[in-house]
Amino acid sequence: MAKILLVEDNEMNRDMLSRRLERRGYDVGIAVDGKEGLEQASSGEYDLVLMDMSLPEIDGWEATRRLRANPATEGLPIIALTAHAMAGDREKALEAGCDDYDTKPIELTRLLSKIEALLPGTP
Amino acid sequence: MTASDSGGVVPESSKQLRHELRTPINHIVGYAEMLLEDATDDGATDRRGRIEQIIAAAGDILAAINAALPPSLSEPTDAGVRELYESFVEPRGRITAALDALRGMPGVVDDPEMAGDLARIGEAAAKLAPPGETMSEARAASTPAATDDAAEDRARILIVDDDENNREVLRRRLEREGHATACASNGLEALEMVGAEAFDLVLLDVMMPELDGYETLKRLKGDASTRDLPVIMISALDDLRSIVRCIENGAEDYLPKPFDPVLLRARIDSSLEKKRFRDQELDYLRQVDRVIEAAASVEAGAYDRSSLSEIAQRADALGRLARVFDSMAGEVRSRETRLRARVRELRQEIDAARGVGTETASFEGGQIEPGTRFADRYEIVGLIGYGGMGAVYRARDLELREDLAIKMLRPEFVSDPESLERFKTEIRLARRISHPNVVRTHDFGETDGVRFLTMELVEGLTLRDLIDSRGRLGVSAVLAIAAQLADSLAIAHAQGVVHRDIKPQNLLLDQAGVLKVMDFGVACLAQRSSKLTQAGAIVGTPAYMSPEQLIGEHVDERSDLYSVGVVLYECLSGRPPLEGDSAITLIARVLREQPRPLGELAEGVPDAVCALVHRLLAKNPSDRVASAAALGGELTRMS
Repeated sequence: MAKILLVEDNEMNRDMLSRRLERRGYDVGIAVDGKEGLEQASSGEYDLVLMDMSLPEIDGWEATRRLRANPATEGLPIIALTAHAMAGDREKALEAGCDDYDTKPIELTRLLSKIEALLPGTP
Repeated sequence: MTASDSGGVVPESSKQLRHELRTPINHIVGYAEMLLEDATDDGATDRRGRIEQIIAAAGDILAAINAALPPSLSEPTDAGVRELYESFVEPRGRITAALDALRGMPGVVDDPEMAGDLARIGEAAAKLAPPGETMSEARAASTPAATDDAAEDRARILIVDDDENNREVLRRRLEREGHATACASNGLEALEMVGAEAFDLVLLDVMMPELDGYETLKRLKGDASTRDLPVIMISALDDLRSIVRCIENGAEDYLPKPFDPVLLRARIDSSLEKKRFRDQELDYLRQVDRVIEAAASVEAGAYDRSSLSEIAQRADALGRLARVFDSMAGEVRSRETRLRARVRELRQEIDAARGVGTETASFEGGQIEPGTRFADRYEIVGLIGYGGMGAVYRARDLELREDLAIKMLRPEFVSDPESLERFKTEIRLARRISHPNVVRTHDFGETDGVRFLTMELVEGLTLRDLIDSRGRLGVSAVLAIAAQLADSLAIAHAQGVVHRDIKPQNLLLDQAGVLKVMDFGVACLAQRSSKLTQAGAIVGTPAYMSPEQLIGEHVDERSDLYSVGVVLYECLSGRPPLEGDSAITLIARVLREQPRPLGELAEGVPDAVCALVHRLLAKNPSDRVASAAALGGELTRMS
């Protein structure tokens, strides 16, 4: 079963998205901020990271850059999630090292297709 | 943008506002879609219809947000924002109506998950009210707003309660407030968790099996590593004694069950605020400690610049102190490095001259044979050398069982009672000088009519030997000599002792390159005696004496600095600045002639070094470097 790490500081977002992904057969782990996200992602037990970009302390951009700089996580697929949906955000996310980018409100089918594209044959 | 009409603060930028408004839409749509997925049974058509109304209304709100706040717009106007919120009123009404209808449907209220998700949709919808209204709606729904603003107040709270329902209620409430939580079902588990991870606050039930809240609290407060962790006791025991017992044991606060959510929130916030201040204070003190450690490490020669780099970023006084300290430590280190390199070169010079012994001299009166007992206390080991004042022997102190040097004073220097008194005064002063670069004078004594001085024994050679062996010395080696000479003179001058006879014969160098000045206080004897002898019979050579000393004027510490200049000139060029076939010729030259520029004789000597030496050689004392301490300062700054 593919395991997804959801890095999200908003409790309702975490609850909702983790439940929806679990319903689709994914195993979901939670990190509530960038720091925890980095620690968990480095544990090696995740197949993909859904990274909220607006996180306290270490934001998603920075967390992504650090994951890319770490040999243990440099290949870990990361999908950026943001509610800003501003012009240039997508480019910025890809530039920071994200594999893909999606906006909130989440369109689950669209997000799932992005996850499946990065994790073929899952969940 | 400023405060809106409704009293709330409208976010500064379009980006923030988009984020704030799209987030609840995400919640509404997400939870509604989940509910839709669950509404699969045949009888759920009505329910699906209501849920779809919610999703459609949320879609309309999203469209309004995207239209009013396009990605490229950076500053929405007040009026624009007001209009936007107004446009939400109708679709929000649809959501509220659909929620009410759903709550009234059979099976919905009884299903806690479904009821919970409907409540969350209601909570999210409340965030779409104009800023002034948001709080009241949220309060009405008894779900305090968990905005992203709470992020900075997010704390990690440990809930300790043996009742699962209590834990769950607290957990959900705290997480809605934006805090992270962890739960323990008894005191032992709580102590284990607190030992393993960092928490900001503990909510501790009193009545628990095994280890109750009182004991858990006592152990938390008894352990230095957890003493500062705030604990709020929560208990159904609300008698005064229980409360007092908790407070006495170090609880931050006490909350009776059933707790009032508003009170809980206020007390948690207050405890966290206090902890934050305490943490800041502790952090500050830790950083102060690091600066102190850094100071100690400078002394130990192990200062690591990176140890203060973080503190140096601070904008406050401590940051400034760290920056100034780091720069000073860097300067000290580079000076030390320079000095070490100079001493290394000096050692090489000394090594190269090794084997050159001090002259073995015989003098009138004959030598004292090795093995001879002297002054009832010493045993002569051998003759070290012969100076202007008399022979110097290596001797064994039989009392203290260590070797020292004994300088015998020729009778003519100490026969005059006035000279003798003056000499004793000078020796008393000189004995006070304790410095690694000064040969210690121990005692002045007399035995069988022979007056003598006992002194620290230095194994090594004189600068005279070194110059004679090497011809001239490298600049770094000379600077190492100069710095040590300046240090020793600065100490002596500060004690009121002028040497008066600084010359290479009086400067000893040990194998480690440490220079030791000998005969502090002794020279006065020669000076006094010289007046008693015939003209031209000046003891030693006048080559190192200052002009004022040669003509018998009053001398002060600047006279020593002139002598230092002569020594350095000779070290660098291999010859004294002024020479003469006789003492009279030499004295005449010292009084009138300028030495040849050092740079002409000694290639490769930096101009600054040449200029400094010539300044020391100025005829007029007030044209010289002002003091030995000032000379030391100039030398250390010289790269």
